[in-house]
Order: sequence, then C-alpha cells, then structure tokens
Amino acid sequence: MTVWTIRQERHVPEEEFHAYFDQALSRSQGAEIETHLSHCASCQGRRAEVAALRDRTSALLAQLTPSPVITPPPLAVLLERRSREFRFAMWRHRIQQAGRWAAGIAAAAGLGWLARTAFDPHDALPSAPIAAVGAPAPSQASQVLALAPMDSMANLDNAFPAPVPEPDAGPGAGGRRSSGPSASMPSLQLASATMDLGPVAREAAPAASEEVPEARTMPGDPFSRIWRVVQWEDALRVAGGGLPFIEGLVVVGVLMRPGASGERPTVIVTQQDPLGELVQSIEGPVDEVDGVLRIHEPDVNVSERVRTPPDYVEQLGGGLRRTLRMLAITGRLPADSLNALARMATIR
Amino acid sequence: MDDLERLYQTHYPAVVRFLYRKIWDPDRAEDLAQEVFIRAMAHRPEKPRAWIFAVAANLARDEARAAIRRRKHLTLLKDDPIPLSTPAPSAEDVMERDERWARVNEALAELSERDRDVLLLWDAGLSYPEIAAQTGLAVGAVGTTLARARKRLIEAHDRVDYQARTARS
Repeated sequence: MTVWTIRQERHVPEEEFHAYFDQALSRSQGAEIETHLSHCASCQGRRAEVAALRDRTSALLAQLTPSPVITPPPLAVLLERRSREFRFAMWRHRIQQAGRWAAGIAAAAGLGWLARTAFDPHDALPSAPIAAVGAPAPSQASQVLALAPMDSMANLDNAFPAPVPEPDAGPGAGGRRSSGPSASMPSLQLASATMDLGPVAREAAPAASEEVPEARTMPGDPFSRIWRVVQWEDALRVAGGGLPFIEGLVVVGVLMRPGASGERPTVIVTQQDPLGELVQSIEGPVDEVDGVLRIHEPDVNVSERVRTPPDYVEQLGGGLRRTLRMLAITGRLPADSLNALARMATIR
Repeated sequence: MDDLERLYQTHYPAVVRFLYRKIWDPDRAEDLAQEVFIRAMAHRPEKPRAWIFAVAANLARDEARAAIRRRKHLTLLKDDPIPLSTPAPSAEDVMERDERWARVNEALAELSERDRDVLLLWDAGLSYPEIAAQTGLAVGAVGTTLARARKRLIEAHDRVDYQARTARS
C-alpha cells in the first residue's frame, strides 16, 4: 500500500510524456502514466502542453517539404535506373581496371628503364643514340688498335685497313681477301703492332691471303697461330659461337688467334659505346689472356677476370684435357665500369 | 509486392522530406531518395526502415560535403523559393509561404546537430530504438533529446517570428 502511494505521488517527467505520445514506452509504463494522470491535475496540464508542443513541432516541420504531395515514381523506373547504374558501374570498373593495367605496365616499363639506367655502367655518360648492336664495322678497325696493347701508334698506319674475308665468298675464293694494296699487307704487321706475340707471331706469313683459320689448328702449320682481323660472322663461325659480347655496344672489330692445341681460339672483340669509347673483351685460355693483358698500355684499365666455359680437348692417348678459360675487359673506362661490363658480357 | 516494395511505396515521401531537410534541394532530394531505395533493393537489409534512413543520412552528409567542396551555397532561406504543385498560388500566398518556410528553416538551423538529427528522424517515422541506433544515443536518451529539440525549435521559431513581425511593424 505504501508503494502504491509513492507511485501515485510521482509526477510524470516531461521526457516521459514525449515518449508516451511517441508510443515508445512499454505497456506497463503507459498504464502507470495513465493511472497517475487520472488523478493528477498538474500532470494533466503538462500532458496538454507536451501534446501541443509535439503537434506544433510536427506542423512546423511539415512546412519544410519540397512539395505538398510526394509521389514515388513507378518501381519500373527505379529498376531501370538500377540496371543503368549497374551497367555504368560495370563499365567504370572495366575502365578503371584497364587503367590500372596500363598504369602498371607503364610503371614497370619506367622502373625497367630506371633500373637499366641505374645499373648501366655508361649511365654517367650523356645519352646518345645507340647504333645497331652486333653489326661488325671492320672499316673502323683502326679504332680497335687504339685500345689494343700496342707498341706505338705509329704502327697503326701499317696495320689497317686490314684485309677482311668476304662473308659471302664462294668456296673457291672463299674467305680469301681482296687483292688491293692494303690486302697485301700481312696481318703479321697488325699482330706485331697490337701485341707482342712472341717468336711464333713474328714469323713471316702470307696471312693476308690466307683463309680464316679453323678453330682447331693443324699441327705443324707455322702460320696457324697468328692474330687475324675477322668479321663478326666469320669469328662466330670459327669460334663456334664462343665470342664475348657486351649487349648494347657496337662491335667495331674482332681479332682472333687460333688455339694452340686444339682449344677454341683466343678472341679480342672491340666494341664502342655511344660516345666512342672503346672496350675490348679478351676471351681465351687463361695463359693466352694473361699474355695479352701483360702488355697493355699503362692508361688502359683492366677488369677483373671472369671465368668462361673451359675447353675439353681429346688427347692422343685417350681421355679429355681441360683448359681453363677466362674473360677480361680492357679500356679507358674506370675499372668499376669495366668490372660491370665483364659481369654483363655474354659468350655468343 | 514484397516488403521492400511496400516500404518504397509508404516511405518514399518520408525519405524525400528527410533528405530535403538536410540538403534543401528538392530535385536532389528525390534523386537521392531513389538512390537509397535502389541500394536497398541491391542489399536487401534485414531492418529496411532503419537501413534506408541511415543510408539517406549518409548520402545527405556526402551531398553536403560535396556542396561545400563545390563552394555551392545551399539553398537557404528566402533566396530559393520552394516549387509548389498546382494550382498555382497567388504571389501574396507565395510570399507568405516563403516567409513561413524561412522562419522554420532558421529555427531548425539554431538546433544542435544532434537535436536536429533526432527531430528529423522522429518526424520521418523512426522509432526510438531506430533513432538510437542511428545517432548513437541510448534509447532512454532519445526521449530527453527529443523533448529538448522540440522545445528549442518552438522557442527559436517564436523568437524569429517575433523579430519578423517587429521588423514589419
């Protein structure tokens, strides 16, 4: 009975009247308020005030409408719009996807270009158009000697232009050099002008009129181991696809010396970078390459030695003999650049 | 006709009004309201009524931000009269209606954002739990907030109305 009395005397808070009109109270709460209102004149008056406030609010907000009557468009219109937006979204997605692919490809190409530039040993040099790669240029053979280990530049005039076999010459005249004034110049002079080849190389030999030697020399042939200037294609044929080559540089000339005991030849491939700087890739048996490197000019730098595939030569008594080979790059470029070139050089 | 289609027929005007009171652009309000129901058809929400008003509130918010970005003034007050349906009212009626609209609008603008949101959601027909879910209030606080918002709106409107009458006389 005491509890009932307290409940009877509790006036209804204003927010509860709002909730009461908004039907946000439970059934028991609503019943409690109605019971209290039945005998509380004060709360009855406040209920009327809240109701008026609520109605006025609704009336004011009703003025904030875009139009007195708002009719929803037919559902079909909505569905059509949905379909249109879906198609548009699909196309947008496809275009975005294509854009992402294109951007990815462009980024990859850009990164590749940057990486190439960053790791290219010639990156410090100003850019210049790069000539065709791998095209032999025997007419510039004098430049070959510019970096070759040599005794003096005075001998260059006697050395070049060196006779070069015609690549498409027939078997009869095949590989034979033309008979011009320079063609009669023995390649021995070239060899002696470029490097000290020892007594064997100094032997008189009509090398200019000889065919390009085979990779494997015949025993007893006194002219078989002289240095010769050959064209790239001939060098490839003779060396059996073992020519050192630096990607991206123009081949200026090829010097070749047949192997001593059936090994592959020792080869000096001269290449030129876009600024005209020459580098020479010397590949051959370790002793041969060392012999060449020992006589290089003081201002010519030498890269670190890089091992290349060894030679395996059949011996008369049976079995195979292995001859180690290596590659070194010489030139007036910094040693670091030459080292990088040695690492990127390939054997073709 | 499923529940969502029925909800579209019954609640579309409320959604339009709700959006209109936030962005003050009748055409855009209708456009966004249709967008709300298109999304509802795609998502099929469990509680569609609360869901559509939540999405409508988000769209209105995005729209307001976009309007700010475009430095486009919202169509406030008397500079942008509301188009009405036929029959065409007289010029005097139009002027009087515009003034009333402006006073209500000004009064509503004086409310805090939370009070305004609760009031508009209530006027759109949402229940207290739905309002609480959307605004982050406790259900018990919705009644308090709503009571305060109603009172402040009326007070603000009366004050603006009084100032307007004083200025006219």
